[in-house]
Amino acid sequence: MENDEPPSPELPTHSEDGVDLTLIRWMLSLTPAERLEALQGIVDFIESVRRENGQD
Amino acid sequence: MAKIDFLSLLRTLDRHRVDYLVVGGMAGVLHGAPITTFDLDLVHSRREDNVARLLAALKELDACYRIQPERRLRPSASHLASAGHQLLTTRFGPLDLLGEIGAGYTYENLLPGSVAVQVGEGLSVRVLNLETLITIKEQLGEDKDRAVIPVLRRTLEEKRRR
Repeated sequence: MENDEPPSPELPTHSEDGVDLTLIRWMLSLTPAERLEALQGIVDFIESVRRENGQD
Repeated sequence: MAKIDFLSLLRTLDRHRVDYLVVGGMAGVLHGAPITTFDLDLVHSRREDNVARLLAALKELDACYRIQPERRLRPSASHLASAGHQLLTTRFGPLDLLGEIGAGYTYENLLPGSVAVQVGEGLSVRVLNLETLITIKEQLGEDKDRAVIPVLRRTLEEKRRR
């Protein structure tokens, strides 16, 4: 069942210095191994884009 | 350019029983900071026996200096025993081996401020804790280090809130 409740206003999305707190909360919901997998996925994607553009 | 594979790099060091701490951007990621890095920064023990194990691991990794990679210059035991920074390329991507970081912190100094983190099946690595990582980034004072400090601080705050 979908939850139609709006996000709590007490839970800010950004810190006063502009850091995206939603991304931090998402990362903290992962295990360290999953965080490493996420980083590896980003690196793999960027490497593949570079290769396709002949920048390797 | 070698394909970056962080886990294979760590597994190779583990297989050779190298004593090291994960620091830098990777330490931040493992603690939950949403940042990106393309190299693995490690502070290694400069003890003679560990340097020998590290050299064996680097041979398997086909490591050479990133500066002038065409010359295939390889680090020696004396390089690894020094306080300097060895910026290497390996078959699994860039690897920075740091004899000291910040205000003269060595592996032995930093070890109490580290935690064991499971990063893969059967693979646990020691990672500098977030508080110490922030302190060292503040000491370094370079733009690339300062830029990431707000994200590390907010990550620490969110962790403490949980």
